[in-house]
Amino acid sequence: MKMDTVIIGGGLSGLACGISLAKRGKRVTIVASGQSTMLFNGGSMEMLGYVDGKAVENPLGAIASLPESHPYRKIGADRIASIAERVKLLFSDSGIEMTGSANANHWRITPMGVAKPAWLTLSDHLRIDNLNQLPAKRLALMCIRGYFDQPNAMLAKGLRDLGFEVDMIEFTTDDITALRRSPSEMRATSLAKHLVSNNALQRVADQFNNLAGDADMVLMPSVFGQSDSSDFQLLQSKVNKPLRLVATLPPSVAGMRMMTQLRHYFKMLGGTYLTGDTAVSGTFDGDRLTSVTTAKLADMPLKADDFVLATGSFVSRGLKADFERVYEPVLGVDVDADADPEKWTRFGVLEPQAYFGYGVATDSQLRCLKQGKPIQNLRAIGSVLSGHDAVKMGDGTGVSLLTAIAAADHIREKK
Amino acid sequence: MAERMQTCNLSEHNFEQCTKCSICTTVCPVAAVTTDYPGPKQAGPDGERYRLKDPAYFDKALKLCLNCKRCEVACPSGVHIADIIQHARMRAAEGQRATLRDTMLANTDLLGKMANLVAPVANATLGLSPTKLVMDSVMAIDKHRTFPAYSRQKFTTWFKRHAAKEQDAYAHHVSYFHGCYVNYNFPKLGQDLVKLLNAVGYGVHLLDKEQCCGVALIANGLYKQARRQARVNIDNIRKSVTRDKRVVLTTSSSCTFNMRDEYPSMLDIDNADVHDSISLATRFIYRLVDEEKIKLVFKQDYKRRMAYHTACHMQRMGWQLYSIMLLRMIPGLDLVELEQECCGISGTYGFKKENYERSQAIGSVLFKLIEDAKVEAVTTDCETCKWQIEMSTGLPVENPISVLADALDVEATRRANGIN
Ligand SMILES: Cc1cc2nc3c(=O)[nH]c(=O)nc-3n(C[C@H](O)[C@H](O)[C@H](O)COP(=O)(O)OP(=O)(O)OC[C@H]3O[C@@H](n4cnc5c(N)ncnc54)[C@H](O)[C@@H]3O)c2cc1C
Ligand code: SF4
Ligand code: SF4
Repeated sequence: MKMDTVIIGGGLSGLACGISLAKRGKRVTIVASGQSTMLFNGGSMEMLGYVDGKAVENPLGAIASLPESHPYRKIGADRIASIAERVKLLFSDSGIEMTGSANANHWRITPMGVAKPAWLTLSDHLRIDNLNQLPAKRLALMCIRGYFDQPNAMLAKGLRDLGFEVDMIEFTTDDITALRRSPSEMRATSLAKHLVSNNALQRVADQFNNLAGDADMVLMPSVFGQSDSSDFQLLQSKVNKPLRLVATLPPSVAGMRMMTQLRHYFKMLGGTYLTGDTAVSGTFDGDRLTSVTTAKLADMPLKADDFVLATGSFVSRGLKADFERVYEPVLGVDVDADADPEKWTRFGVLEPQAYFGYGVATDSQLRCLKQGKPIQNLRAIGSVLSGHDAVKMGDGTGVSLLTAIAAADHIREKK
Repeated sequence: MAERMQTCNLSEHNFEQCTKCSICTTVCPVAAVTTDYPGPKQAGPDGERYRLKDPAYFDKALKLCLNCKRCEVACPSGVHIADIIQHARMRAAEGQRATLRDTMLANTDLLGKMANLVAPVANATLGLSPTKLVMDSVMAIDKHRTFPAYSRQKFTTWFKRHAAKEQDAYAHHVSYFHGCYVNYNFPKLGQDLVKLLNAVGYGVHLLDKEQCCGVALIANGLYKQARRQARVNIDNIRKSVTRDKRVVLTTSSSCTFNMRDEYPSMLDIDNADVHDSISLATRFIYRLVDEEKIKLVFKQDYKRRMAYHTACHMQRMGWQLYSIMLLRMIPGLDLVELEQECCGISGTYGFKKENYERSQAIGSVLFKLIEDAKVEAVTTDCETCKWQIEMSTGLPVENPISVLADALDVEATRRANGIN
């Protein structure tokens, strides 16, 4: 089976790259085993949040200060500005409404109530442009009875530390009470599936209108809109105060929604998305990859002119480690990692961990290296890349999106 | 060492591998529409822990599971969630008798055989309001359902009269497991397959004997009968593969999935020697084209816009690509690939009165996608999806094989493959 491009991994980076190529008429197939780390995403994209532990104000401006080995430096600061604009377009074309600027970070609020620098945030989620000018004075923080994936007390404390006045208000509706029959399954994604009908939303809105008191903004966990933002808009139309969502613990509704919308758009462009299949090996001919074999299409290698590795980091099994080495399991390409296992980790959950920066080694065009030599038609994008650290630097989703589009450009531009 | 720790640690259906991430629950179509069902995580690996302690923990809600396998496709840890649930149901059903209604629905071939003898009468009566009311109240088969029409002539009768003789003349040969649906309801699909394969130089043959694959028997708890029929099928498939050197093709994703994957996992039938020789026809044909062994030539004036729906079991096998790529070869076909959603019928599930509303609620997401796609017809590899989508959207639904046969320029294809 021959395509123009085969992408291994259907997370944020794989889809962004696939859309970019399909939009220009390429025949693209994405092999995607299971769900991606977008299920942990709180509704924001981060380009660059921290450098040397300090919050970044202007991510584009700060790129020059990054080490040469960072994926952004491989793309080049000047190109990043224009690619960043195309990312916004990619989202709006997919029906995802995001706001923000690559020249000025805003603040997103984590489920624990911590403000973190962000580049783009879903327009129905709480975002703060300026910590000295909060978007509301008094917040009604609506807490769903029996829902434990939102640590309300911590969230309220965090918001108060930022300067908000916060009223914590517990509420429920018949629909929500019914869900408590399986308490362990009372997750954001289940709520989102049951709070969809006009009536169910009306019951929520009635509670808000009764209970919100003199708050000037209503804040509630992000448990709406499994497929688009229409449920939120319907609810907002029924609530007589401005309404904003705040991220919950995973699984994240916002993340699922964005993945659904991107996947849908990719398919509308004629792309093929193979859900639930896993790439297991590749065949090389000299410095080229000729085909990739998957578990379910075992007898039919997928051939293509170009390949993209977008398999994510350790959690997604894009990288693996045993007791001796860190390796890339599908194609066996080179990995940047400390040879000495003693150096991989440090004791303490909150300590910076060296392994977060490990990943696949690439040249200046994001081509993977195998035994030190670039594979001409194989590029790596997203979390599988070395040289960045989503936790310490707040650059995870940014690296995924920007390298995805840069790689798509390289593929289109070559001779 | 790490690898060994992993392999020595394997539990039945991988249930110890569950990391409690809840991803399975996010894709379960039943949990999405009803709080009566606790969802795959709770019904599967979590509940299994309790059930292992004491079978009394069996929860009746487990019979709401569609066995659609979407949870298994989504699970990042390879837990065979739906298998766990089905096995729990199987253990709980031991010694219990299925109801008359369930037995009737499950025996798709028996129902077919009877109806076939009296097709015009059956079609008229099954569609008649008083009959429907009786079925609704006495049999608990929902009155909104229309039984698929029964054909006056069975596929096998047509085949023996009109096609069998010519088949030996071709250079290559395959066997065809037609299944109940093609035989009793829709012989045209079987005829389309014969037309298509003959045009590229393949003779089509029936198995010495075939019985209903039993997918509905398993779903309705009639395991003993399912096992009996599965043995007959695998014996006859084995004859075709080893004696006649013919692979066995199907045109239904559910029959295929059932015979390849559920026979060993649900019914303990060993099919390892023939497993790889059972294939969906689209997969077989695609690979012949891909390996440049055959050529397909399509009509110049063919023009249609259709949506492809990936049936849940098709996705579980991971084979939708074969059908999609084949369909994309038709120049005049504007194909929209739909997001994978469950249609809600799941074989006989949606026919039951107690499931009707849930079944339609599950399907509503898919019906909306189809409506938004602005197509004139839908194509899918599963016959029960076809009934459900036709009833719920009013659009015609065709198997990809029929779409291909319809678009095929038979004469030009025969010439291109050197057949006169
Ligand atoms: C817990 C957690 C929290 C995070 N929080 C944030 C955050 O708040 N903000 C932020 O900016 N970033 C965050 N990140 C990082 C962020 O998720 C990533 O930067 C980004 O979404 C990664 O996208 P990706 O496509 O590169 O990789 P992934 O999302 O990891 O996707 C890789 C995909 O490839 C698939 N795959 C792997 N191997 C194969 C194979 N062999 N064949 C087929 N498919 C395969 C996987 O199943 C997966 O679907 C977080 C990451 C984690 C793990
Ligand atoms: S998806 Fe798999 S690992 Fe996650 S809760 Fe379900 S069964 Fe467990
Ligand atoms: S098989 Fe389908 S219905 Fe059953 S638990 Fe899994 S996803 Fe839900």
